Amino acid sequence: MLIPWRYRKRERSFIQSFDPRAWLIFYVCFLFSTLTFWDVRYLIPFLAFAVFTLISSRIQWREIRRSFLFIVGFVFFFSIMTFLTGRGGVEVYAEEHLIRRFEASFSILGWTPALDITVERIFFALSQFTRVASMAIMTVLIPFSLNPALYGVTFKGLGLNDKFAYAMDLTMRFIPTFARDFQLTVDAQRARGYELEHFSGGLIEQVRKMGPIFVPVVIHAIIGSEDIIDAMDLRAFGIGPRTWIDVLERKTRDQILIWVGVILLVGSLALGFTGYGMFWAPTAL
Amino acid sequence: MTEALPLAVKDLSFRYRDRQETAIRNISFDVRAGEILLIAGASGCGKTTLIRCLNGLAPRSYKGEINGRVAVFGKDIQSWKLSQISQKIGTALQDPERQILGTKVVNEVAFGLENLNIPREEIFQRVDEALTFLKIFHLRERETFSLSGGEKQKLALAGILAMRPSILLLDEPLASLDPASAQDALDTARFLADQGITILMVEHRVEDVLRIKPERVMLMDSGEIRYLGDAAGLFNVASFREVKLPANVIVERAKAEAPPEEINLLPGATSADSNDEAIVKFENVAFGYESNVEVLHGLNLEIKRGDVIAVLGPNGAGKTTFVKHAIGLLKPKTGRVLVNGRDTKEISVAQIASVLGYVFQSPSHMLFAPTVREELAFGPTNLRHSDERIEMEVKEALRIVNLSDKENDPPLALSFGQQKRVSIAAILAMQSKILVMDEPTAGQDYQNYMNFMDSILQLPSFEAILFITHDVDLAVIYANRVLIVNDGRLVADGRPQDVLRDFDRLKANRLEATSLLRLNLERLGETGKFMRAEALAHL
Repeated sequence: MLIPWRYRKRERSFIQSFDPRAWLIFYVCFLFSTLTFWDVRYLIPFLAFAVFTLISSRIQWREIRRSFLFIVGFVFFFSIMTFLTGRGGVEVYAEEHLIRRFEASFSILGWTPALDITVERIFFALSQFTRVASMAIMTVLIPFSLNPALYGVTFKGLGLNDKFAYAMDLTMRFIPTFARDFQLTVDAQRARGYELEHFSGGLIEQVRKMGPIFVPVVIHAIIGSEDIIDAMDLRAFGIGPRTWIDVLERKTRDQILIWVGVILLVGSLALGFTGYGMFWAPTAL
Repeated sequence: MTEALPLAVKDLSFRYRDRQETAIRNISFDVRAGEILLIAGASGCGKTTLIRCLNGLAPRSYKGEINGRVAVFGKDIQSWKLSQISQKIGTALQDPERQILGTKVVNEVAFGLENLNIPREEIFQRVDEALTFLKIFHLRERETFSLSGGEKQKLALAGILAMRPSILLLDEPLASLDPASAQDALDTARFLADQGITILMVEHRVEDVLRIKPERVMLMDSGEIRYLGDAAGLFNVASFREVKLPANVIVERAKAEAPPEEINLLPGATSADSNDEAIVKFENVAFGYESNVEVLHGLNLEIKRGDVIAVLGPNGAGKTTFVKHAIGLLKPKTGRVLVNGRDTKEISVAQIASVLGYVFQSPSHMLFAPTVREELAFGPTNLRHSDERIEMEVKEALRIVNLSDKENDPPLALSFGQQKRVSIAAILAMQSKILVMDEPTAGQDYQNYMNFMDSILQLPSFEAILFITHDVDLAVIYANRVLIVNDGRLVADGRPQDVLRDFDRLKANRLEATSLLRLNLERLGETGKFMRAEALAHL
């Protein structure tokens, strides 16, 4: 059985006050608009809006804590690694202004490990964090805020045909189901003395040792999919056009949200094409 | 005349595309309106294939060669589309969880009608009718994942009934239900049949189904019909070892046979007395998956040498959660669990696994190896047993579950029942001191599970055994201690003859008194302990 994300209706939630189709359109516009910029001054409003949406979503911290900490932690780690290695930003800036250089007191085969702290690296890491964190926050809010019972009709309302709309509905619910099955398999194998914590050997050996987890999870997913197909076939799915009992209503505020999203995207693209919002680092430093 | 019947099957055979032998052969029968036909037989006898041929999944989804004729109200369904068949023949799959697609009850019931492109108003009307008919209208706006096992079973049925089929195929509808929910499901089936719906019910729990007086019973064996007739005739044809018959019938039949050998429970735990140190100890254990919802409330109990414990209780009572604490997969929010005197918070699950082997409910969550032998060697290898010892443990475990001939087969290619036995053997091979089994008999036929329970309980390696079950008779026959768990609390803990004699308590915990339990209680003064029906026959 597919299990849904932990959705519930929340009073006075900003994100839930909109039609899910309108919010998804706005969300896509927001993502592409964010991707247009590398200038942290342009990106900060996007992050601010994402944080506002998070706070006004009325989702309890304990509900979202694990996903949120994982995503923000991952983005933070990713940005720090980019900062330390100096890689990643070379495509958006040509020269670097050194603030300080830390050099190891030893050499390995003539190479001396060193860390260059430059203005560009600092601001690239900041931009990267702001950019990805904005998108991640907006993404993580969706499963907690969209009613799973409306997934199918939402995708149908966005123009997908009946089969694809229902397939998208199932796909959205497959993710938490997969996570539950993964945990069950890990538990079942740990009960047989299997210890994920004590892996050793090379990469291939480590992948091989993950077999007891991956094989049952994949097989279970395949069996589960076959069950779903049987259950759908036995109730005449896909024989032609279908009725959707849920009906979505688009209100004025939804129209406004869509227009705000479209204007944001068009404006961002226009700024991007005219050279605004490219990577920026303060020259004063 | 036969042509006008709801269902007429003539010389039906089916062979799966990738198999040499036919799964069913020369099946002929017909069923009248309002009739319940119970289909029984051992695992692999062809029951499920027959259901697939009737509902059209074979050969449309399960490819293969089909011969013979299936007629619904006189019309051959061979050329029908699945959608046409599904409007005449509704199928409830073995596990309702596998069938439910909707996130809310109303969406689930409406699913088939939406696919038929019926107008919304009519869909709502038919949904409400189906929910009212099954007396679950109050669940209309509930989320499906939050329902109990019995409620899910009724919901799956409502989704089918909304499509107004004339024939219902129920594939092991009782498999995952507690006894009271199973009784509800059976009463519902009888009610539907009395309204004129034709019902074909595949079920291992023959004795339970006989309570609702099915008009006819079919016994299948090796893909063929061995018996088709009334229930009384089944008692003469079927062996009480292969089909679970009412206790009084077994007693009569077993009188003519030699008395059964007495089972020597846990011969390795000879000094089972109350002074022994507990191997596992729960001290005021409370737990909740979410911080504000507690599902276990202050559990206190000890597992000692010689204990054979049956854990009974309704679906969702917290039985599995309780057992997962013993293996250390879950840690108490308050209180503590001690295994051999050590707090499970301070030792790894792998360390506990050498003391306590846990067989999960679903085999598909653990099977991964290319051969059964490697699957069984996995646990002992993790516990760093020697190669010679592993070889011996694997052979012994295979013998117990009657799978010695499958040693080199891929476990994932075996039937569900066989996979379940592999999963049990995989834990047996670890030679833990305590064996814990979650629903060990689910998906097994009667003969197989009685055989392996007999073998497991006589193994010298175990000091204690604990099994979660919905089968009260399993507790009657094998347990020397019964726990009833309900709503995360330990409601009863004691000898079977003390705990199970209180029928009001059984009812309050969604359990039902079986014919074997009643017979044992009647003769308790004479026997002093609970016994299997074959043994009672020789007193």
